[in-house]
Amino acid sequence: MINCNPETVSTDYDTSDRLYFEPLTQEDVLHVIAAETAAAGGVPPKVIVALGGQTPLKLASLIPPQLVAGTAAASIDLAEDREKWNALCHELQIPQPPGGTATDLEDALDIVSGIGFPVLVRPSYVLGGRAMQIVHDVNQLATAMAELAGFGSLGREGGLSAERPVLIDRFLASAVEVDVDAVRDHTGEVLIGGVMEHVEEAGVHSGDSACAIPPPTLAPWVVEVIAAYTAAIAERLDVRGLINVQYAVVGTTVYVIEANPRASRTVPFVAKATGVPLAKVATRVMLGATLAELRAEGLLVESALRDHVAVKEAVLPFSRFPEVDPALGPEMRSTGEVMGIDATFGRAFYKAELAAGNPLPADGTVFLSLADPDKPAGLVVAKRLRQLGLGVVATQGTADYLARFGQGVDEVVAKVSEGAGKTAVDLIAAGEVTFVVNTPQGRGGRTDGEQIRKAATLHRIANVTTVDAALAAVQGLLEQRGHPIAVRSLQEHHAP
Amino acid sequence: MPRRDDLTTILVIGSGPIVIGQACEFDYSGTQACRVLRDDGYRVVLVNSNPATIMTDPDFADRTYIEPLTPEVLARIIERERPDAVLPTLGGQTGLNLAMALYEQGLIGRPGTPEMIGADAEAIATAEDRERFKEAMVEIGLDVPRSGIAHDVATAVAVADDVGLPVIIRPAYILGGRGTGIAVTTDEVVRLAAIGLAASPIGEILVEESIAGWKEFELEVMRDRADNCVVVCSIENVDPMGVHTGDSITVAPAQTLTDVEYQQMRDDAFACIRRVGVETGGSNVQFALDPVTGRQVIIEMNPRVSRSSALASKATGFPIAKIAARLAVGYTLDEIQNDVTGVTPACFEPTIDYVVTKVPRWAFEKLPGTSGVLGTQMQSVGEVMAIGRTFPESLQKALRSLEQGRAGLNCDAAERQLAARVTDELLVAVATPTPDRIFQLGELLRRGVTVDDLNAACRIDAWFLDQLLAIVEERGALEEHSGPDELATREWRRAKRLGFSDVQLAHLWSVSEVAVRTARQACGVEPTYKTVDTCAPSSPPRRRTTTRRGRTRARSVRRTARASSFSARAPTASARASSSTTAASTPASPCARPASRRS
Repeated sequence: MINCNPETVSTDYDTSDRLYFEPLTQEDVLHVIAAETAAAGGVPPKVIVALGGQTPLKLASLIPPQLVAGTAAASIDLAEDREKWNALCHELQIPQPPGGTATDLEDALDIVSGIGFPVLVRPSYVLGGRAMQIVHDVNQLATAMAELAGFGSLGREGGLSAERPVLIDRFLASAVEVDVDAVRDHTGEVLIGGVMEHVEEAGVHSGDSACAIPPPTLAPWVVEVIAAYTAAIAERLDVRGLINVQYAVVGTTVYVIEANPRASRTVPFVAKATGVPLAKVATRVMLGATLAELRAEGLLVESALRDHVAVKEAVLPFSRFPEVDPALGPEMRSTGEVMGIDATFGRAFYKAELAAGNPLPADGTVFLSLADPDKPAGLVVAKRLRQLGLGVVATQGTADYLARFGQGVDEVVAKVSEGAGKTAVDLIAAGEVTFVVNTPQGRGGRTDGEQIRKAATLHRIANVTTVDAALAAVQGLLEQRGHPIAVRSLQEHHAP
Repeated sequence: MPRRDDLTTILVIGSGPIVIGQACEFDYSGTQACRVLRDDGYRVVLVNSNPATIMTDPDFADRTYIEPLTPEVLARIIERERPDAVLPTLGGQTGLNLAMALYEQGLIGRPGTPEMIGADAEAIATAEDRERFKEAMVEIGLDVPRSGIAHDVATAVAVADDVGLPVIIRPAYILGGRGTGIAVTTDEVVRLAAIGLAASPIGEILVEESIAGWKEFELEVMRDRADNCVVVCSIENVDPMGVHTGDSITVAPAQTLTDVEYQQMRDDAFACIRRVGVETGGSNVQFALDPVTGRQVIIEMNPRVSRSSALASKATGFPIAKIAARLAVGYTLDEIQNDVTGVTPACFEPTIDYVVTKVPRWAFEKLPGTSGVLGTQMQSVGEVMAIGRTFPESLQKALRSLEQGRAGLNCDAAERQLAARVTDELLVAVATPTPDRIFQLGELLRRGVTVDDLNAACRIDAWFLDQLLAIVEERGALEEHSGPDELATREWRRAKRLGFSDVQLAHLWSVSEVAVRTARQACGVEPTYKTVDTCAPSSPPRRRTTTRRGRTRARSVRRTARASSFSARAPTASARASSSTTAASTPASPCARPASRRS
């Protein structure tokens, strides 16, 4: 084991036979390989790069290729290199959001003239969607490209170049995002570990989005298509071990967003939800075992996902940074995650929110302020809140919309920017609301909402910033209402 | 006093999601605890809400609950599983706070309910309630910063007037310093007191004399039922008081203490853990030292396994959490064997003959609108650790471990970002702690600013600045050469001993990394790896005795090389923790000091 993080179990001396506390750089990794080769009488070690996220993956191409256990570095490159990846998807006839790569603004404008706004702009080869943004017009595009080329945190890592271009894709608004973790062995058998449906729609980074397994709203045949696409991609990339593929579903069209032939952030969650020890299985597969052998051995068990649902929720650091707008976006900012597991999606979501320190309200008043596209769903949220006996206050626009469909509110508050009358920020500061639903406008006009969201964070009022999360919240409240929280151990959930 | 047989089922509380101030170090400690408790034959019930942990792998406990960490949920688990004891000291502040809530509801720690092991409610309350802690410390004759508590803003202002501005405001019962701040003016007292009162779950704040700028130290201490105490490790913060320990570059062992100062601190730490009443486990005790007067005060104590104990465990090879769990079920330090030496018991204090540096990693670039200024509230999201034969080596290794585009203190593409800034401006900038400060200091030294001037500007101890100067001077010497082929073996070794990587040298000479490596290897300069053996190699572990005799080397025992290794590029720098040019360097406690035993 080589790692430089003192906090982890992986750097416990009990975890490995030999542990090297060294920087994860080419020089150090080559030295360790040399030292281990010498210790083993000239036999070099196999190197696992697929279980440490992006960091070791970047090192994969810098060490002798024959040492890499599992998926070959060439396959990793095939998935990362935009041109090759596009060709692969084209060949498999799997739809992708239209887009291209650019190294300067001129390229970027060319691409956009073909696909139209809004677009998702992101640098290649970075962690956690860093500097990823949704861009709605030419000015924003120019700013985004300048930022990416500039000497910021990315510039420090080398800036833009032909090897490190910017990826520009058509942004699929209102798409449902799906994550899949799968394992393929050298015989070509593919095990679908889990298909996760995100609660928040496309545009929120998958690491910051809540997700559920099994998928609560996708049609069963869509899930089957996703599984088939995943198997085909894994086959084409000749994966030996884990692969994570992300999709966006619009209506019944399944677009593939990206594939990473490595362990993803969701592997532990899938393993705990299904009882299938994915990382253990994948490690054995990387070292040559087949899924059939592991099944016979008893390591690979059937998924226990029969009568429960698991929800993963992200935990965000905003309470420490009251000056930052807590609206979610394409850049990942969560520091951790929690899981809720229960008989239904609503109950599991309820538990996940409670565990994340964002408890859904049993009583009191809810503040609603919705962007225009979110208003129809918001109407349903308001109705459910009434059924639950909660109070509702809203901004003028939201209240007018709700009234149009016969849904009154208890109080209409003034806009923060108007500067007159009682505002949502006043209500939050005074502790008069127990829950805040505030969804950001697609572009511009974010200041009012931003202040409301910041106030909720500062005063530690539970809040959600997407209408999807609000719908899940009311579902959770309805299903949990009148029941004490039930607890059940994983051993019981996983029992055959 | 061996294993307790009156306990069958033990509930271990995990720390929940990774948040700033509580990362995966508690997965490490909890996983260790689950392992040893099961090895000792106990039935382990684990609760944690975080699925991305090793401990929630169902193989690690008899019953694993991934459920929200709230008193209500815990009460239901206790009702279902009927544990004999609850171990709350390995789940960070979350575990401790939850245990206290359960205790207050009468669900644990009372007759007829599960016992609290590791630390009881009285000890937790004494350590966590700042006023009680201060009183307890004064009672045993330890010096503490002058302070007072407040439950409202008006009282906070009155206390601030009394102890004198600037003051530091800390909310009671909080995690990672949230809601803490330094007030220089009365207006700031008013503002920060309001924030602090809101952040504290019990609406209480401590208003305290500011000791910003003092040197900061931590001792990791363990105590057993027989009142044996050991110091596992001393840690020194490079950044002076005013920066949260979690946001500070830290070094183990402490580098700038005199032996007298260190012994005083060790005695005080033992007195502290005894008074607080942690009977079976580990604690982290923090001290501040006024560099001008030498006045030493105790700042706080965590009656639990902490972030620093994970670092101390990795740095010394002494597994604090594992031993804490065994102490909690009745073992004494002399009954627990040191895994690494295989022959010494855990009552032998580890000794290290190398330097360990931890550097925090921040994510300000993801949080537009933040100032990026470090303070008493922790903001980092992770950390790296590096081991070296010298402080410069371990520092440079740690800086490149951060994966933020830096190859070390300097000699990389990113260093030119500072080139455009004028010296006077940089001198002002280093007064403010930021993630970039260490690089700014390197740049200023390169421009010829003296160690004394820098010490006056940033208050970082001159010894550390002098070590930075050693790196800067070496860079200058290397720059004299036009390429890697000019270096002699001795020069390669010196560069490596000061932590220069091939990437840095390649940058310096505008050649490829491969060219540097080829030239270096042609001179026969390769790293060697040494085992972290809990006992400085020059002093072998001995049976419980203070007599220094015999030089038999404690080579690895049952399994090969179980501990972490580190590169020692300088075979000549043997048993020195580090070298010093301007200040006294104090290696850690001598090897195998017997445990302090009170009668």
